[in-house]
Amino acid sequence: MQGTEQDQPSIAKRSVSGGVLLAIGLIMLAVAWEYPVGRLTQMGPGFIPRVIGFAICAMAIAIIVSDVMAPALPQARKIQWRGLVFVSAGILIFAAFVDVVGLVPSMFLAVAVSMFADDDARPLNVLIYASLATLGGWLLFLVALELPIPAFWR
Amino acid sequence: MIDQFLLGLSVVMQPQILMYAFIGVFIGQLIGVLPGIGAITAISLLLPVTFYLDATTSMIILAGIYYGSQYGGSIASILLNLPGTPSSVVTCLEGYPLSQDNRAGLALFVAAFSSFVGGMIGVAILVLAAIPMTLIALRFGAPEYAMLVILGLLAASLIGTGSQLRSFAMVVLGIALGLVGADQTTGYYRFVAMPELADGISLVSLAMGLFGVSEIIRNAANKRPSGPALSIRMRDVIPTRKQARSLVFPILRGSGFGSFFGALPGTGAAIASFMAYAMEKRFSRTPEKFGTGHLPGLAAPESANNAAAQTGFIPTLTLGIPGDAVMALIIGALILNGIIPGPRLMVDQPELFWGVIASFFVGNIILLLINVPLIRLWVLLLRIPYQKLYPVIIVMICVGVYSHRTSVTDVVLTLAFGVLGYLMKNYRFEPAPVLLGFVLGPLLEDNFRRAMLIYRGDFTIFLTRPISAILVTCSVALVVFAIWSSISARRKTVRPPS
Repeated sequence: MQGTEQDQPSIAKRSVSGGVLLAIGLIMLAVAWEYPVGRLTQMGPGFIPRVIGFAICAMAIAIIVSDVMAPALPQARKIQWRGLVFVSAGILIFAAFVDVVGLVPSMFLAVAVSMFADDDARPLNVLIYASLATLGGWLLFLVALELPIPAFWR
Repeated sequence: MIDQFLLGLSVVMQPQILMYAFIGVFIGQLIGVLPGIGAITAISLLLPVTFYLDATTSMIILAGIYYGSQYGGSIASILLNLPGTPSSVVTCLEGYPLSQDNRAGLALFVAAFSSFVGGMIGVAILVLAAIPMTLIALRFGAPEYAMLVILGLLAASLIGTGSQLRSFAMVVLGIALGLVGADQTTGYYRFVAMPELADGISLVSLAMGLFGVSEIIRNAANKRPSGPALSIRMRDVIPTRKQARSLVFPILRGSGFGSFFGALPGTGAAIASFMAYAMEKRFSRTPEKFGTGHLPGLAAPESANNAAAQTGFIPTLTLGIPGDAVMALIIGALILNGIIPGPRLMVDQPELFWGVIASFFVGNIILLLINVPLIRLWVLLLRIPYQKLYPVIIVMICVGVYSHRTSVTDVVLTLAFGVLGYLMKNYRFEPAPVLLGFVLGPLLEDNFRRAMLIYRGDFTIFLTRPISAILVTCSVALVVFAIWSSISARRKTVRPPS
């Protein structure tokens, strides 16, 4: 499937989304291939995954065809890297730290890091705002809702 | 029917439940006003909180957020030309020109009042339809459920805007995501790449990622205009007698369309508002006025989306089949509270069933009362820059997902779905069908497998059982209609305009 797609860069670019979907469908089929399929009257756990896997592949091919054939396709929007990177970093830092240092520091870090997704962010403003947001989060989650998460690592 | 509704009212009128109903619609109105946070994000944020409440109260709060957001959504549309919710996109078309013409107060009043009438008509239809629908639903067997889910999934991808092929692909992708975890019938582990996935992908992670995180990534760096400094005099708010008379039929037509598309599984408030606007333009004797601040064009979709938000509960409450992505979350909340939605709900838990319905009645009155008088507060909210808002939403998403199953994996998965949702939308794939497929997929698999087992692999049972046959006919009609309309649309674009 790769060969025909990459003859021309524009065609390759156009078929990217359908290609990813096709890859998902193929991986799904490969993983589910060894699940017991059973019979129509007594379906095993592998029956529906196989049907769905084939359906995804079929639709991915249809999408590739229609995207490549379409005369004036609206261009895929540009990726906003700054937002993507800092929002992801904020969430990953929360995930990495919440079990280690507790809720309050990880909330602070998540707010502070994700605020840099905005190009106007200034360190001092971030520090002040992240502290305020952490205070608000502590009041909401630990004082008002009493969530059973340790505030600080003991 | 009247007796049951009064029973429901007696439940809602308890001060504590009334307070929760108020909290629900107030939060709904608030997040509806803020562009960039929809009902789906707000409901998934509050899902973990509802574990501490009983089922009736959680339903009343979550449902209140949903229909409350329909009221709030029009405010940002009218004042900023930014839809606060997907269903208020068409409200911009007539609302924003009115606001530029210094008639924002009038537009807000007409939107709120149309919303109220639409919502009330929706509630009335819900009350009327509840018992007959439950009686029909009690006769549903596995083949009927399987066919109804298929009809819903087809409707979700074929009706509405955007590419039908792409929407349908997303429905199927959603079904695939729903397969992860232990198989319901045999307990066999499927696609369990890591032990944390043994219970399947968390609905909260999927919803918050696809709708919450992806929107934040998209909007974090974008500057949007902040709200205007607005002074509204009550005198300018009330429409004239002539204007009011011109709105009667648009509101009734809008409510009718909204009620229909809301009750149809697979289509929700957003589609209803688009349809109502298009039909109103077709019915109108002055179609050229649309787009310039024409009041009927504002009233029809606003009444439609609110009617749809109420009748959407007909399939949700009587059949346990969610009509759209928001309903899917509400069903998820019921299940997490240990209640299986379906026709037995009305029989086994009349207080819950009718209490929730009566709360819609009360909630719509509360919404009308808080909408226009508190307009200054809503305008003030619009002046909060998004750059101050999104870090707080990120923390709420993180804590909400984490506290749901105390699982760091869920937080990371939420981010993964967020990035997926962001990239998908860049390539013109809508996230809502994924969520619907995710919730309906297990229902489809379970009922299809059971139907094939009971009827020994005989496909004709789908046609020989009357209710199932009707559902098959509707599905086929839908597919034929979709193909026919896409062909005729293509012809129109090919032919030069005469």
